[in-house]
Amino acid sequence: MLKKEELVYLQEMAKKIRCHIIEMTAVAGSGHPGGSLSCTDILVALYFREMRIDPHNPVWEDRDRFVLSKGHAAPALYAVLAEKGYFPIEELKTLRKTGSMLQGHPDMKKTPGVDMTTGSLGQGLSAANGMAIAGKLDGKDYRVYVLLGDGELEEGQVWEAAMAAAHYKLDNLTAFVDHNGLQIDGPITDVMSPEIIEEKFKAFGWHVIDINGHDFEEIINAIEQAKKMKGKPTVIVANTVKGKGVPYMENEVDWHGKAPTQEQAQEALKALRG
Amino acid sequence: MSEIKKSTRTSFAEAIVEVGNEYKDVVTVAADSASRYGDFVKKFPERCFNVGIAEQTMIGVAAGLALCGKIPVVTSYANFLAFRAIEQVRVDIATAGLDVKMVGTDTGFSSAWLGFTHLALEDVAAVRSIPNIVIIDPADATEAYLATKAMFEYKGPVYMRLRGRKDEPVLFGKDYVFEIGKGNVLREGKDVLIISSGSAVYESLIAWEILRQKGISAAVVNMATIRPLDEALLLEITSSVQSVVTVEHHNVTGGLGSAVAELLAEKRPDVKLLRMGVKDTFGTAGSEEMLKAYFGLDGNAIAERIKSFLKNDYKSEVN
Repeated sequence: MLKKEELVYLQEMAKKIRCHIIEMTAVAGSGHPGGSLSCTDILVALYFREMRIDPHNPVWEDRDRFVLSKGHAAPALYAVLAEKGYFPIEELKTLRKTGSMLQGHPDMKKTPGVDMTTGSLGQGLSAANGMAIAGKLDGKDYRVYVLLGDGELEEGQVWEAAMAAAHYKLDNLTAFVDHNGLQIDGPITDVMSPEIIEEKFKAFGWHVIDINGHDFEEIINAIEQAKKMKGKPTVIVANTVKGKGVPYMENEVDWHGKAPTQEQAQEALKALRG
Repeated sequence: MSEIKKSTRTSFAEAIVEVGNEYKDVVTVAADSASRYGDFVKKFPERCFNVGIAEQTMIGVAAGLALCGKIPVVTSYANFLAFRAIEQVRVDIATAGLDVKMVGTDTGFSSAWLGFTHLALEDVAAVRSIPNIVIIDPADATEAYLATKAMFEYKGPVYMRLRGRKDEPVLFGKDYVFEIGKGNVLREGKDVLIISSGSAVYESLIAWEILRQKGISAAVVNMATIRPLDEALLLEITSSVQSVVTVEHHNVTGGLGSAVAELLAEKRPDVKLLRMGVKDTFGTAGSEEMLKAYFGLDGNAIAERIKSFLKNDYKSEVN
């Protein structure tokens, strides 16, 4: 059970992160607000409650790792890292600018706190496997988290990696699926259904937890449950709303990869700040 | 050249065990290809991982391991590494310059009997199009052994080409020196410079002998490191030798011949260049010897082609 003040802290942080996402993408004039807003609560729970990290030492060997396999949600990750103190919040305005540390998709060589370069879908889980295997090999107790999109599950490599994670009993690995139901061309079930996601992961030998991805209590309980699981990797299928928090973006596929205008951004910020 | 025969794979397997003893962080990742690591797997089972027939995941897992302080080696058929997993190589490894050693096997015509899917004739072009990766194409088992050792002394991504299981002539003895980025002058000569790598080196040496008997003085350089190319050596030799022939058991597009052509076009535009290799076509099933003859890339064919190439401006007293 989260204490009330903890819950309020996480909710307020999520609100801040969502505002950053809107402001960043509006300034950049491009970006992916929909899928950034849907995974915001998961990232906030990880970075502001669960993960063992030190923003002053982003390459700390014993830190928990996070791989944003759905790299297009970079604005959410950047906002979280900035709020966490990895780099000044001012930097967020430089998103997608030439020479910025904040590329359109995460680049670990450019951004402090980014643990893996991503952007081409389907690749993150394999790298997370490698990190988890290394942790086991060295007898270290760090944990590895990876966030995948639901549309991303259409990539074959995800299932190669899902097989490998179960085979190597990577119980130090927790995957999240941001199950917002939409991809560029429409509803995932229309384009190429990856359903039933829970059953697929079960069949691949994973421990599966199904949650509301916007409920901090559920997110954190699931993470705690995953930590206790022995001999199996855990996937947390987080049911989310694409564009969460901005009424005109919610469940609208158009907002997958389109930035709000300044006017639209003002409207979004107003809604978010309540 | 000695009569001893050994495969590049065998010496890689020997070297990797020694590397494993020397560097405790070296780990191997296989895609149902663990036998390439020889006794390493028996000796260090806890440091060996096999992701099954999943080359893309092999690369991703290697990247994750490298990010946590390991020095992973990966191996597969060259085509499945350099093509099937090329995007993973680009995104996961090359961009961050991760310390991963990638070993593509069955290159050139060495496993030609498997047919065109396995004939790796474009792998160098694919890997060379991506920044940050050192490319090594050893000429024989001795060089494969030395290059395996050398790539662990270097920090950063390396792609090394090996060939099939078949034993091949060993060209170099114990005194041979391999250094990443350095070509080796195997024969001095003044009429023509032959630059080759990998299995084409042996055939180039045969061509050298045939040419010598015809009174043609050829220099032979083994350019085992295709990237970075030993530009200094080539510029030095081409300041006096004006005819250059590249020979590779690879497509003429994007490989050693291209690398040399790019250099010469910019720095030595007066040099006459002939690129020998597979001429922008696919391979076909057959024995290695058959394929070399089929593509005109055995010693005899190389010598013949060089003779006609030199004919127009060849000034030797023999002609």
